[in-house]
Amino acid sequence: MNPLMERRLRQLRSRVLVRSWEYRQRQHARGAWFRLRRVLTFAAEAYIVSPDDARQLVAEGRRPEPAGDEFEPPKLIVFATRERVARLRGARPVPVRLTRDLLAATCLVLVPFVTPASRGRTRRV
Amino acid sequence: MTFRDRLLATIRAAKPVLEAPGVMVVGSEVPNLLEPGAAATLIVSQDLDVGVPVEHHAEVKRQVAELHAFRASPEEPSVWVPREPGLLEVNFIGMDPTQDPAEAYVLDDDQLPLLVFGALSLVSPGVELDLMETRVRLPRAAGLVLEKLVTDRTGEKGERDLLVALGLLMTATPDDIDEVEIMFRRLRPELRHVVRSNLTILSLLEARPGMPDPGPHRADVAALLRRLEGEEGSDP
Repeated sequence: MNPLMERRLRQLRSRVLVRSWEYRQRQHARGAWFRLRRVLTFAAEAYIVSPDDARQLVAEGRRPEPAGDEFEPPKLIVFATRERVARLRGARPVPVRLTRDLLAATCLVLVPFVTPASRGRTRRV
Repeated sequence: MTFRDRLLATIRAAKPVLEAPGVMVVGSEVPNLLEPGAAATLIVSQDLDVGVPVEHHAEVKRQVAELHAFRASPEEPSVWVPREPGLLEVNFIGMDPTQDPAEAYVLDDDQLPLLVFGALSLVSPGVELDLMETRVRLPRAAGLVLEKLVTDRTGEKGERDLLVALGLLMTATPDDIDEVEIMFRRLRPELRHVVRSNLTILSLLEARPGMPDPGPHRADVAALLRRLEGEEGSDP
């Protein structure tokens, strides 16, 4: 067998093994990144906000996304409408990507694509 | 010379194998060829992936002798490099419909060895195009989308492959998306999870110069993820 192809095959099989391990770990800490990415996938916009603002949004009845609890320090992540975010003075928009700013943020407000009712479901997956 | 010129010139030069039984173009050039007029604006890579059904390997191997514009790479004989400028590399890949999507093997051969990717078992023949007097078979979009999404995607190459899935979704019809959902439900739980995971990665990718930008299509990716997960969420 061609050595390069053999190496590619070996690498591919190794990745499949790792992936299977990750799948088995998905309910545990290893799955936290998937759950965070999944919540962000349903966000059209993301804003870094102060803890006071984030707590205010929760007090208004918005449910914190459980995916945020899986990090240390925990992230308080809530969905809110664009109009509600516009009334938060200190809200700072950040790209919806895994940037340093977004990952370092402890309080995030996400604007859903369609309606708040259709935001990312929060069951552990 | 534009990328489209190079792609079409490569297709003309690769006619002997592209018209061999069962052969399909399966990689990053599919969305380019599916654009109206094969506009080829969704540039992700600089090669032409040619899927060879293992049951037709012998016929394709005979046709490879007619590829005068290319020669096999000495390092990797499944890759044929152009002898002249203005052409793309041709990358031969094995397809085995009986293979598990997570598996792979090498079909060893002195002249045309193939790395056979199990994920390509999800791919089935779709439209045929007539380009540069060459009959080009393309896969059905749904199967190729899932092939891109069930394969492990890490690093630069992985992200580019996800952009191919994006390009396919950009050109997909509602029927194609229905088919993606049907095929997705037939996958085993681990592979369904991989598909969902890759969709989240695709959604968060940064735009790259000259490549399809996920940004304007994030809502579509989110809608597809939600649809695949269904009302009750996806598998555990």
